[in-house]
Amino acid sequence: MLSVKGLKATVGDKEILRGLDLEVGPGEVHAIMGPNGSGKSTFAHVLSGREGYEVTAGSAKLDGTDLFELDPEERARLGLFLAFQYPVELPGVNNMYFLKAALNAIRKSRGEDELDAVSFMRLMKEKLKVLHLDDSLLKRPVNFGFSGGEKKRNEIFQMAMLEPKLAILDETDSGLDIDALRIVADGVNALRSPERSMIVVTHYQRLLDYIEPDYVHVLAKGQIIRSGGKELALELEEKGYGWIVDGEAA
Amino acid sequence: MSAAANSSRQQTEAAEAFAGWLQGLSGGAAVDATSSGTAQDWLAAERQQAAERVRAQAVPTGKSESWRYTGLRSLIDQGFVQVDESLTALTPDDIEEILVPGLDAHRAVLVNGRYSEALSDLGTLPRGVRVGSLQRMIESDPDALQGVLTRIAGEGSHLFASLNTAAMQDGLVLLLERGALLERPIEVIHLSVGMEEPRVAQPRHLISLGDGAQAQVIERYVSLGDALYCTNSVLELSLGRDALLKHARVQQESPNAFHITGLYLSQDANSHYAGVNIGLGGTWARTDLVTRFSGEHAECDLQGLYLAGDKQLIDYHMDVRHGLPNCSSRERFKGILYGKGRAVFDGLVYVARDAQKTDAAMSNRNLILSANAEVDTKPQLEIYADDVKCSHGTTVGQIEPEMLFYLRSRGISASLARRMLCLGFAGEIIEALGPEALRDYVTEQVGERLERAPLD
Ligand SMILES: Nc1ncnc2c1ncn2[C@@H]1O[C@H](COP(=O)(O)OP(=O)(O)O)[C@@H](O)[C@H]1O
Ligand SMILES: [Mg+2]
Repeated sequence: MLSVKGLKATVGDKEILRGLDLEVGPGEVHAIMGPNGSGKSTFAHVLSGREGYEVTAGSAKLDGTDLFELDPEERARLGLFLAFQYPVELPGVNNMYFLKAALNAIRKSRGEDELDAVSFMRLMKEKLKVLHLDDSLLKRPVNFGFSGGEKKRNEIFQMAMLEPKLAILDETDSGLDIDALRIVADGVNALRSPERSMIVVTHYQRLLDYIEPDYVHVLAKGQIIRSGGKELALELEEKGYGWIVDGEAA
Repeated sequence: MSAAANSSRQQTEAAEAFAGWLQGLSGGAAVDATSSGTAQDWLAAERQQAAERVRAQAVPTGKSESWRYTGLRSLIDQGFVQVDESLTALTPDDIEEILVPGLDAHRAVLVNGRYSEALSDLGTLPRGVRVGSLQRMIESDPDALQGVLTRIAGEGSHLFASLNTAAMQDGLVLLLERGALLERPIEVIHLSVGMEEPRVAQPRHLISLGDGAQAQVIERYVSLGDALYCTNSVLELSLGRDALLKHARVQQESPNAFHITGLYLSQDANSHYAGVNIGLGGTWARTDLVTRFSGEHAECDLQGLYLAGDKQLIDYHMDVRHGLPNCSSRERFKGILYGKGRAVFDGLVYVARDAQKTDAAMSNRNLILSANAEVDTKPQLEIYADDVKCSHGTTVGQIEPEMLFYLRSRGISASLARRMLCLGFAGEIIEALGPEALRDYVTEQVGERLERAPLD
């Protein structure tokens, strides 16, 4: 599904990703953990095509298509989805209108018809319920004035609506209390399927109690320095990052 | 000859050309007015004085502040001549294309500044409401106009308003008696149709609400085709005590039109005026909004949205004078500039020494989509009272890259994303327009312009 090889990326003249390799197969859930500032968000942004980063080496392919050849919207239409660590507020842009535009753009690129108003409403209500979000959210501007938890749930709600092939969740757990965390995790788990892969970026092991990963990777200083099964997350929780990161540096 | 002398000679020539042109436009009409009857001596006198003011008033040059941004040369160069005949050939079918779909309103239509009975569709008006042609009313019931017409825009009116007073022939009159209630909105369509030679129309409109009267007025300035013409209109608005007027104005004229509007508002105690100005069209569009209070606790709310692209200058001037205590005024204008578009926001709020407890807020925010677009924004507060609440602020910014990225990361194209963000920015002003059909229509008009806008 996703194949990243030798990826290097810089911001300004600072190299942040320094030769990153990652293979994600269909239906797999990979957790990427690592200390603050290790490059997790940078990796997510580079994959989804945010401006301001320069890819200096390596490749990233989604089902064989070179992502770096595509605009952000084309990547999304191909089935890539990023749940932002810091969802952006869009004053004046109605949430429902936004979702409709996004869904229709993606459907159109797949050669599907636009959803009619009734089916669209039905789909939205169903997904809102899963995430315990209120209908009134649809009438509000995207993320504008949302609480931290609402913003994160809104990201997963969008993911549920857009049904991506590969979803990257960037610290979706940060700032959530335990109830909200459970809701978000339920939402994510409901979307797990043999065709859908996920990369769950997190700083803490806590989220992984609810979203069980198939693989856990440790990202430090722009490289994946250790990979393992879910037990690696527990080990990290216990011992912190120091032992791997320092061990690697030594 | 030195460059300075050369440029000063050019200035003089321009001023002379302009003065000559102005006299051509005001002179003939003034004669017309004096010959048209005897019952309106007061009006003939007003027009005579206005014609004299035009002759005497210094021609605005690049140096005179309020005209600094709007060079007049391009206007003079068109050689506009006064429209004299009325156009009767249009049928309701011809104006179908310029209507707002689904807008339920009493409709008055003016063509090139003249009231058209044939195109208007007023329906049944409630008791105490009169709508019709200014010319008719000057002929049939001039007393109803005395003390209002020319009085609000009289003193302190600028050159073009004086010119209008001298030359006016027709326009719209809307009179609400004390306590009258206009529940359905009244839509006033100012339609311009191109003529063989470039013409200037100088309509004069009057809206007067008696004490406690309430109305919602939607004015639309529209054209058939890409006609080249000039409109120099004046609207006098009088709100009695406790009167309430919601006033939407949508200027969507041809890309070749020259549009000059002076709106003079007089508000008595406790009256409430809520105006929303949408400026989309024209190559040269100047609007002056002038407010005076004649009683306390009146509220004046002026909002606006303007878009300007290539070959467009949109120019708003506001002059709100608080001479009495306890009134409030708010100006909130937003602009979107693209291509080589230019806009001016020049707002003055004056608070006299006695105008204690004035509450005035002025804001102007601009979104600039290209490096070549330009806005001159100049909010000014002149405050001589010491117990007031006044604020002002302006911003000139660009679309936030992370907002754009957020939308694109959801599969939305860059151009649609940009449009969504611009409409989001404009949304709160469009919301204030009132009827849903009108809001949808304006949203669509704005969206279409943004869709055609060059990306840098
Ligand atoms: N736009 C930027 N400009 C400068 N430095 C940046 C930028 N984005 C990220 N960085 C730097 O790159 C490093 C990795 O950041 P990030 O990817 O956000 O880390 P993480 O998500 O793992 O906490 C940090 O040192 C951060 O300061
Ligand atoms: Mg991060």
